Amino acid sequence: MSALTVDSGLYTEVRDWLYREAELLDDGLERQWLEQMVSRDIVYQLPLRQTVERARGAGWVEGTYHLDERYGSLNSRVARNETAYAWAEDPPSRIRHFVTNIRVTPGAADQVEVRSNLLIYRTRQDGVNPQILSGERFDVLRREDGALRLLQRRVLLDLTAIGTHNLSIFF
Amino acid sequence: MTYTTSGSRADEILRDLAEGLPKGEVPATLYGNRELYEREKRNVFARCWVYLAHESEIAAKGDYVLRKIGEDYFVVIRDENGGVNVLFDACRHRGVQICRADSGNTSHFRCPYHGWTYDTKGNLVGAPLWKNAFGGMDKSANGLARAAKVASYHGLIFATLDPTAPPLTEYLGGMAWYLDLVFGLNEHGVEVLGAPQRFVIDANWKSGADNFSGDDYHLGTLHKSVWEIGAFPVPFAANMMGYHIQASPGHSLSFSMAPDDSEPGPKFFGFPERLTDTFHSDLISDHQLDVARRSRVFVGNVFPNFSILALPMTEDGSNFPPTAVLTIRVWQPLGESKFEVWNWFCGYKNMTPEEKDRSYRAGLGTFSMGGAFEMDDTEPWITVARTGRSTAAEVLDLKLNYQMGMPGIGIAHPIKDWPGPGVVYWTRYEEGVQRNLFRFYHAMMTAEPGQWPALGFEQD
Repeated sequence: MSALTVDSGLYTEVRDWLYREAELLDDGLERQWLEQMVSRDIVYQLPLRQTVERARGAGWVEGTYHLDERYGSLNSRVARNETAYAWAEDPPSRIRHFVTNIRVTPGAADQVEVRSNLLIYRTRQDGVNPQILSGERFDVLRREDGALRLLQRRVLLDLTAIGTHNLSIFF
Repeated sequence: MTYTTSGSRADEILRDLAEGLPKGEVPATLYGNRELYEREKRNVFARCWVYLAHESEIAAKGDYVLRKIGEDYFVVIRDENGGVNVLFDACRHRGVQICRADSGNTSHFRCPYHGWTYDTKGNLVGAPLWKNAFGGMDKSANGLARAAKVASYHGLIFATLDPTAPPLTEYLGGMAWYLDLVFGLNEHGVEVLGAPQRFVIDANWKSGADNFSGDDYHLGTLHKSVWEIGAFPVPFAANMMGYHIQASPGHSLSFSMAPDDSEPGPKFFGFPERLTDTFHSDLISDHQLDVARRSRVFVGNVFPNFSILALPMTEDGSNFPPTAVLTIRVWQPLGESKFEVWNWFCGYKNMTPEEKDRSYRAGLGTFSMGGAFEMDDTEPWITVARTGRSTAAEVLDLKLNYQMGMPGIGIAHPIKDWPGPGVVYWTRYEEGVQRNLFRFYHAMMTAEPGQWPALGFEQD
């Protein structure tokens, strides 16, 4: 099926869904994000990339990840940040998700495929040099009890070595 | 104090280090001085055996990976005869990089500048219009520069740029006994589970080496969150029981082990029982097998920057019990305040695909840049380096405290009836392991070219 145009109702719904998701994550409302927007069947992956010769493709290394999460492990990450000892995010980073280039294609039953470009801007303490992560997300949203939920997310970052001291954030 | 610009700050810091270590004091500036770092590149990284790759990463002829010694790039490639070559990534014509990918398989490297072409052993095999350009020139004298020595131990490939370096096994000294009981528990051995994760931290590489030499005490504070989410099965105070071992100068490690041999907790670092049934002492001693059997956690550092950790973990305590995670990592220096972590997960080759997958996921969720353990580690290391490069640390002569477990301090005490090599303490409330790291560091930093400090303890 071909991509939906901006005047499509589903396109608008998906766009607003992505903006709401970014808002929850930027506001540090990870628990709300997990419980209200993520499917129990989630597969959430950030694959590892290498520089390879053009003939060998884009460099994604089969079966190797920076993050490879399911609902239970995402819940562990959220729960960790709720403890009083989550030093990596306490004090919390300032994080901004910029979501652009949204492309929406109806998929299998109750599902919709979404590609979007992502720019994450992050600062900690009084640092003035932000950590910037640029990439593309390949998402599958599924309608569960009437509401769209994140069923699959594959985050392709434009990096081989990651220039941040951790990945305590959500993409 | 008066401030003078004469003399070398690096010399002063090393003098302070030598004077301070017997008292358990380390100058804070050790973690942030530029001049010291420049000397480390020459005296430590260009001389010591450094870890580059695992043999399973380059299993087939022509397989290669691009790695670093200090800040410099080297191609680690398996040649047509199955040998491992460590080649400086610089064309002999103008110094251009000849390897432009992180990994791959090839029969040759062609320089993109003028086309000089080398085989998998680094031999120059040709260049465009050879007769016109270079006819009569000796090809054999124009191969790629290479590491002075290359050797592997349990599949772990090390190299040194120093032709006067002792053989790898002599350099590892007592540490080899301990590597045996992590990597040599059966005839299959280990392999990497995928390509290395790489990330860059604004901190000093020695913070990684210091931490993995046996800093178990930080778990109770920095990693307190992981008990609250059920990621690690041994309570903090119980996990502090075990041995701290200075295996040989520079190389240190630590075991978490219960006082009682029959405790029901994790055995063999948490490897699944189906696998541990295949562990035996054909390749190692009964003593080594017994130490591995009783171990809940192994953590250690091979000087200067190669660390190993084996322990039972889970990324999702509500759904999966902890299983052994075996991670090996390199703290790759990029400056006095910047280093890159290279993080590999490993598994025994005879683990089932499901066991490997479980171990890999548990590792990703705990000891990786997005993992519950490691995401907190890098926070304090950033400010160790901030303090290290500060003017205040220099002007105030700030000394860091490395006194835990010294005579009269805490409960750690030396053990005499230990079956393995090295200086051994019972309980892990002890920082002699880190003092051992820095004693050897000092020895390398002050050694004359061609001279090697002692590689064994006097009492050995």
